[in-house]
Amino acid sequence: MTVAVHGVGTSHFGRQPGRTLTDLAWDAVREALADAGTEDVDAVWVGTVFGAPGVAQRVLHALGITDVPVVTVENACASGTTAFLEAHESVRTGRYRRVLALGLEQMSTAFDGAITPEPTDAEGLSGLAMPALYAMAAHRYLETGAATLEQLAAVSVKNHAVAEHNDRAQYAGRYTVEQVLASRMIADPLTLLQCCPTSDGAAAAVLAPADGSPDEVLVRGLGFRSGSLWDHRSAHVWGYDLVAATAADAFAQAGTGPDDVDVFEVHDAFTVGEVATTEALGIVPPGDGGAAAAAGVTAVGGARPVNPSGGLLSRGHPLGATGLAQVAEVVWQLRGRAGGRQVEGARTGLVETMGGGVSGIDGNGCVVAVLAR
Amino acid sequence: MTAPTTGPGTDPRPQVVGTDDGPAVAGVRCTACGHPSAFPRPRCPACRGPVVPALFGPTGRVWSSTVVRIPVPGRTPPYALAYVDLDDGPRVLAGAEGDAALAMDTPVRLLPADPAGDVRVAVVR
Ligand SMILES: [Zn+2]
Repeated sequence: MTVAVHGVGTSHFGRQPGRTLTDLAWDAVREALADAGTEDVDAVWVGTVFGAPGVAQRVLHALGITDVPVVTVENACASGTTAFLEAHESVRTGRYRRVLALGLEQMSTAFDGAITPEPTDAEGLSGLAMPALYAMAAHRYLETGAATLEQLAAVSVKNHAVAEHNDRAQYAGRYTVEQVLASRMIADPLTLLQCCPTSDGAAAAVLAPADGSPDEVLVRGLGFRSGSLWDHRSAHVWGYDLVAATAADAFAQAGTGPDDVDVFEVHDAFTVGEVATTEALGIVPPGDGGAAAAAGVTAVGGARPVNPSGGLLSRGHPLGATGLAQVAEVVWQLRGRAGGRQVEGARTGLVETMGGGVSGIDGNGCVVAVLAR
Repeated sequence: MTAPTTGPGTDPRPQVVGTDDGPAVAGVRCTACGHPSAFPRPRCPACRGPVVPALFGPTGRVWSSTVVRIPVPGRTPPYALAYVDLDDGPRVLAGAEGDAALAMDTPVRLLPADPAGDVRVAVVR
């Protein structure tokens, strides 16, 4: 059975400490249900990382969604796409007919700044905040000559500029490479404008069997893995091999490859993350990710547009909501309704989310989805 | 299998011990595939084979490094971190002196067990 996305929706993304998770979820769910032309779902999968116990039912019952199975999943930054993938599987296998996938997170009330490293983890207790993990990937890129500081900064310039066309994004602006590099140092060599912000938000999608309705977007392929061991044998930076392996699974199921994809929404929690991911996905050859960003190859209007939404760097990164916001962006792109950030003629899109926080492996989880009209 | 399943206490970080050759990380090595682990794993995480206690270090090389300049609970920024590949041993996350990231492949040496529990290294000069 082919499963389709029939509706998507999101809240605004940003620091919204004065709004409740129910308010944020309502914005996303109301829009997704209206988009799908329905009021009823048969089950709900919810992705969240820091949500309190029961957060899914606490939010959903307030929206009038009761008496259905509700499953909450936590998979770090891939929590939203994990909910999407499991919602898809439950439709594909016939377990439920119409399923809501919802991602939500309120970070601004939980953290002053970066996410606090997990003290039960070896590297978390050793002071490895997430920016530091990506900073070491960036340092490695610089020292092996695979990218330059200016190329890393070019990702931030690109994603902040295109976000001017996304009124749901937390940040947007016309920065120069020099301004990006001159912003406050977070973890050498990553500066503030190369790091995703602290965000609150929700995003949702309604999935059901494809029925030929004009706005539906088909799910063509999915990949889903946890990381293999990441250790002294690993030549690539953290997460690279996990993304590559998960993408291979998704492409195999879709019967396509990266060259068949017109638009990509990928996990750019930090600039180097987008650089590494464009390489791991096969969008550009290994070592070309930084140069491609600097040359405009991965910009809207370039040959291989990546993160037309502005990405996590600009839209914001409420962990559990991110994956479903990526799905929403690709759905809008494939419907040709992305406004000033539209990738002209996009017919096939890809979503990639990966998350970490567990040391010793290449990532807690990664989801890659190939969507098409 | 009689391999240890828990380390000293519940601290999740690699444990540094003193030896005649200098400080070492007390982990395990797989008797089937030789894979080194910086932790007292119950079996080999690479091949699921049996493991025996093993000591790693004191020398190694920097795989990558950074300096953290944001507040992290219990720590005072800036502080340097490095992934260090111990010679014939595992990759460990270690604290380093100073406020500059260490260059790739810099030779380093484990420092004696730190009262705060971190693995720490110094540059070999
Ligand atoms: Zn083994």
